[in-house]
Amino acid sequence: MAPVLPLVLPLQPRIRLAQGLWLLSWLLALAGALALLCSGHLLAQLWHLHTFLAPSCPFAALPHVALAAGAVALGTGLVGAGASRASLDAAHYPPWRKVLGPLLVVGTAGGGGLLVLALGLALALPGSLDTGLEEGLGTALAHYKDTEVPGHCHAKRLLDELQLRHHCCGRHGYKDWFGIQWVSSRYLDPNDQDVVDRIQSNVEGLYLIDGVPFSCCNPHSPRPCLQSRLSEPHVHPLFDPRQPNLNLWAQGCHRVLLGQLQDLASMLGSMLAVTFLLQILVLLGLRYLQTALEGLGGVIDGEGETQGYLFPSGLKDMLKTAWRQGGVADTPAPEEAPPEEAPPKEGLPEA
Amino acid sequence: MALLKVKFDQKKRVKLAQGLWLMNWFSVLAGIIIFSLGLFLKIELRKRSDVMNNSESHFVPNSLIGMGLLSCVFNSLAGKICYDALDPAKYAKWKPWLKPYLAVCVLFNIALLLVTLCCFLMRGSLESTLAHGLKNGMKYYRDTDTPGRCFMKKTIDMLQIEFKCCGNNGFRDWFEIQWISNRYLDFSSKEVKDRIKSNVDGRYLVDGVPFSCCNPSSPRPCIQYQLTNNSAHYSYDHQTEELNLWVNGCRAALLSYYSSLMNSMGAVTLLVWLFEVTITIGLRYLHTALEGVSNPEDPECESEGWLLEKSVLETWKAFLESLKKLGKSNQVEAEGADAGQAPEAG
Repeated sequence: MAPVLPLVLPLQPRIRLAQGLWLLSWLLALAGALALLCSGHLLAQLWHLHTFLAPSCPFAALPHVALAAGAVALGTGLVGAGASRASLDAAHYPPWRKVLGPLLVVGTAGGGGLLVLALGLALALPGSLDTGLEEGLGTALAHYKDTEVPGHCHAKRLLDELQLRHHCCGRHGYKDWFGIQWVSSRYLDPNDQDVVDRIQSNVEGLYLIDGVPFSCCNPHSPRPCLQSRLSEPHVHPLFDPRQPNLNLWAQGCHRVLLGQLQDLASMLGSMLAVTFLLQILVLLGLRYLQTALEGLGGVIDGEGETQGYLFPSGLKDMLKTAWRQGGVADTPAPEEAPPEEAPPKEGLPEA
Repeated sequence: MALLKVKFDQKKRVKLAQGLWLMNWFSVLAGIIIFSLGLFLKIELRKRSDVMNNSESHFVPNSLIGMGLLSCVFNSLAGKICYDALDPAKYAKWKPWLKPYLAVCVLFNIALLLVTLCCFLMRGSLESTLAHGLKNGMKYYRDTDTPGRCFMKKTIDMLQIEFKCCGNNGFRDWFEIQWISNRYLDFSSKEVKDRIKSNVDGRYLVDGVPFSCCNPSSPRPCIQYQLTNNSAHYSYDHQTEELNLWVNGCRAALLSYYSSLMNSMGAVTLLVWLFEVTITIGLRYLHTALEGVSNPEDPECESEGWLLEKSVLETWKAFLESLKKLGKSNQVEAEGADAGQAPEAG
């Protein structure tokens, strides 16, 4: 029953291991805290933009999972720092002996699992943003005029504020506004011939104009904003066709929001990758330290050499031991109990 | 006759010194906070100096920065003194400096109180600066071709969008100035010619506002032009319409922003001032208690600490006397130097 990946650890390397582990644990705690902050920031951004993201888009799962993963990494880092500090001091180590085993299991299974899941989501989910934003923005544009319909009455205000804050216009450009009715019917004069003509000119009976809302206006333009009759340049005096871009915002909101959210997601992904690497290192180091000190029977300052290992025996042997333990618990045969107690007892101190 | 006498034994003295050391290091932190508050206010004022005609007074942020730095210096020095006060050998070298240092501390506290009061009182000057600056800014709104003023349109537009305001006192300010550049006016049009002829200065005045005055919360698309003409728009009454444009004037909006900023800074500085006064009083007690140790060989003995050796009135009289003596001795020395006679007093 040879231990897996053994490492001989005399006193000095043990101390070095503990000190290095202490430093790595604090780095892990820092990385976990940064990942927490990053996912919190992404969550805040998503909360602001939830009207423009289709409800079916699964992107919102990423910051939640990353939040949990960051928290577990932070906890692991703090525990690692405490344990490695205690392992240098004989008086403080005994309470850690009992706790370290279960903590390592939780850290590996829980923390590692969450981090892997979060990393996977960070790689896979940004692809779904494209369609999610497309759908969400399309819905918001369609409901811009519904300022009196309950459930959609905030669409106008939110879309205007979005265009003002992110410096964008329409979904892919300002011409998107030409294809929808964004003026509420309540403010259309039914007696005006121009209004009647426009409504009758298309199949759906929509009042379509070649104009845009005020929030598309670009303050950098040298002339007061031209919002209406944009398809007829001769209407506006001295309109310079060589400089059409400055009048309205040139970018579409889809591209701006997609870029922003994807940048945040990739930053979060890199933070999670760094945290994952550090977590693996810290957990490995803690396991080696724990098994080395167990070999000494918990006496820290012992000058003797001990072996640290990952697992006491190979995977097959471990499964056999676990199976036998389970088997002994099931069969209550008292005459066979004494000879069968010996193998489980052998297995126990090494685990 | 001493003011607020307190008895100190060895343990109490040690506790006082340790407590003061800790308080001084917290005070260094507070000094850093005040420094950063002053820096933040300075940056905020600089960001919007365009609409304040570049003539805004930077007295408050500069004094906050100065006070923050001074506080760091004085309090770290006081911390060092309190640390050394427990060791008689080290304390002996600080002894002659302590009295002038305490005087400087008192002056610093008075200065800090004045700065705190300034934080609350600067509102008035800021209001007049803003009124003038915004008026000029709106006047230069159309000068997008004039070098040196071409950015004013962008600045005013972004200001109105960010602070949710319109014009100086309200949106009607835009009716009184020409905010559309002549370059974009078609002078062959009859309407333009009529408008220009209708006023003495030959300006093109409209009852319209720039797009940045529009309120996104309005249920209808923004009405920017012909605001006073009800018949130009369907179902529109300019007397009752409230949500179309921002109602606040930018002067009031900016003033309330800066006032709240300076009020909160004033409140923080007031708390720091109270903290500093406590530290100075504690330092004075420590100083007099250590002076009062009658037998330097026996550190265990009791001593008394006080704020002033005699009552306030007597101390003030003694202070005036010493000033007079100082003046007299200078005078007599001058006379003595001339006539070669011995000084009579001092």
